[in-house]
Amino acid sequence: MLRVEHYSKTYPGGKKAVDNLTLHVQPGEIYGFIGHNGAGKTTTLRAVAGVMDFTEGTITIDGHDIKKDPVGAKRVTAFLPDNPDLYEFMKGIDYLNFIADLYDIPAGQRTADIGKYAGAFELTGNLGSPIGSYSHGMRQKLALISAFIRRPRLLILDEPFVGLDPAAAHLMKGYLAELCQGGSAVFFSTHVLEVAEKLCHKIAIIKHGRLVKSGPTAELVGDSSLEDVFLELEGEK
Amino acid sequence: MKKFLTLLKVSIQSMLLSSTNSRGRGRKKAATGLGAVVVIAGLGLYLSGFYSYMLMQALAPSHMEILVFIFMGMAALVGGLLFTTFAVKGVVFGGKDNDLLLSMPVSSTLLMASRVTAIYLENLLFSAFVLLPAGVVCTILTQSGVGHSLLFWARLVIAALTLPLLDTALSVLLGALVAFLSARVSKGALGQNIVTGLFLVVVFYFSFHLNRMISGLAANAAGIKDSLNWAAPLLWMGEGILGDWGLLLAFAACCVIPFALVVFGLGRVYRQAVTAFAARSAQSNYKLSAQSASSQKKALLRKEAQRFFGTPMYFWNAGLGLIMLLAGGAASLVMREKLLAFVGMEGFPLLPMAAAVICFCLCTCPIAAPSVSLEGKYLWILREAPMPGSTLLWVKVGFQLLLTLPCTVIAGACISIALGFHLWQGATLLIATLLFAVGHALFGMLMGLTFPKLDAVNETVIIKQSLAATLAMFVPMAALAAAGGLYWLGSQMTGWAALALPLLLFALLTAVCAAVLSKHGPVMLQAL
Repeated sequence: MLRVEHYSKTYPGGKKAVDNLTLHVQPGEIYGFIGHNGAGKTTTLRAVAGVMDFTEGTITIDGHDIKKDPVGAKRVTAFLPDNPDLYEFMKGIDYLNFIADLYDIPAGQRTADIGKYAGAFELTGNLGSPIGSYSHGMRQKLALISAFIRRPRLLILDEPFVGLDPAAAHLMKGYLAELCQGGSAVFFSTHVLEVAEKLCHKIAIIKHGRLVKSGPTAELVGDSSLEDVFLELEGEK
Repeated sequence: MKKFLTLLKVSIQSMLLSSTNSRGRGRKKAATGLGAVVVIAGLGLYLSGFYSYMLMQALAPSHMEILVFIFMGMAALVGGLLFTTFAVKGVVFGGKDNDLLLSMPVSSTLLMASRVTAIYLENLLFSAFVLLPAGVVCTILTQSGVGHSLLFWARLVIAALTLPLLDTALSVLLGALVAFLSARVSKGALGQNIVTGLFLVVVFYFSFHLNRMISGLAANAAGIKDSLNWAAPLLWMGEGILGDWGLLLAFAACCVIPFALVVFGLGRVYRQAVTAFAARSAQSNYKLSAQSASSQKKALLRKEAQRFFGTPMYFWNAGLGLIMLLAGGAASLVMREKLLAFVGMEGFPLLPMAAAVICFCLCTCPIAAPSVSLEGKYLWILREAPMPGSTLLWVKVGFQLLLTLPCTVIAGACISIALGFHLWQGATLLIATLLFAVGHALFGMLMGLTFPKLDAVNETVIIKQSLAATLAMFVPMAALAAAGGLYWLGSQMTGWAALALPLLLFALLTAVCAAVLSKHGPVMLQAL
């Protein structure tokens, strides 16, 4: 589903944020991406989502090269940044329809999916209000709904649990699993190691822009815990 | 005091950086910011110097120089109000750093004072550009010698420093009203648009009233001065500049006291005001019904329309020219007789003048230019969307054209009918103005991409002060002036050349902008 091959990103000024990263996410997988602050997680996710340009390596989503066929790649992808800013002058329902229009989602399908996800996240009643009046958590839920209604083949999430209440976080985990059961894949970054350990089929750990360990969660963790593995790799233990 | 200066420095930095290219570095960044200030200053000085000269020429012989300072003071006051009232909502009450600064160990009065002082500095710039050229003109043209002493300049500087205090006090009060209405009225943008519209009607009525007074100045200067009792503080300012220290002190008190009252009065409730103006709670009574689908381009156009009509600052700053086009077209039909009498003189170049008026109105509509910067923190939404970058750019250009082209056609048709143009003249007018409208939209888009300001602290700085919006307004005016020059050059040769040369210029500039935008636009967008 997602193939990142020898991807590197160097910022103006010469700082190498990511160095020769290679990882593959298979259909049906939830793939966790963890690392310390500034390790290169967000830079990688933004490049995968086609939001940020890069010079070295290739990124392919469902057979579409993000550089050569960005529109094709984005059509099967949904991306949520760590702090999704949504148009404050729009009402919630207008934003969902805007996204649905950009992704050519038929009217019947969008009505059903908005009803399903907005109902589950208890946001239906608020959809008529301007996004400017939403709390942080409500915006996060709206952004998640806008991602789920796209029925993406690859869902890319940057710190998706920040700002969500426990019930919404639980709900989201259920929907991620549901998405993967349908053959899609999820690639997300998180600092919540307990969640990553329980939720992810595979995990990659990045340090100073370089992949230091990756593989199936069970193999990676072994008899230890993900927290122990992570801290050991970070040299904190 | 140290805290106040630190806060003021932050406000001023934010204001100054608003004019710069957010991607620029070092010298380029400083140069672009300086360029914007130079453009605004140059235009302000020119307009002020020109009108002061005209007035002083008419009034100096009858020793009524005082009226020049009164009228220029009024111009500075009204101009400053127009310039800063709608900035107050963003700069004083709606800063994105409100939470950060209000949580710090500084009094809310101090914070409010630092932000109001930033507004004062904007007004001071306006006041200086208007009053100081009047002083220069007075020094050169006066026949009573009032402008020839250092004390005159000292008094003028005192007036130029104190007048913006009154301006600031009024604009903060009006801005607070606008912010309050935005937060409290359920259709916030509509309510704010209505208030803004009424405000502009009052300003325009006042301006026309002033124009009538100025036109009768030379004949009855003393009578007009006597009739200005309603503007007593400005009368005192005029008397003060010309030598009456007592009245200058009274004028200064009229400016300082309201300013102090506003700063300390609103400062005491600043925290409450910021909270109240920002508090909008989401309603929870929406019932989901069947949704309808539309195309990508329609969705993007609808978004642009929602932002334009739903952001009063954007609508009134970039859309006023459209209203002027429609109102001007209608007025030309309604007041046809007066218009014909005014322009009926022999040899008056009606067709180019009509085209120039329409094109000037179009110049004041930089709708596409700030639209890239307005995406700001929302740009990720469009970047991750499955569409080529060129679609977004052409939709933004198309949105401006969707608004400007119909208004141009209506205004052109009305003016053609009112002035009794032949069919070929009407067609020429429409072709020239439509070409200009297309070129203006394309150029504005290029400016938006070249001088983006994606990290602005609020929308005000993008719409009112960004380099992209400034250049999108004034560079086309320069092109218009060049077209005027070509018309004159052509008229020295043959009749058709006079019309063909400006048309060729517009066509050439439009084609160049279209080619550059097509070739480099998507890359520039990707690089943001």
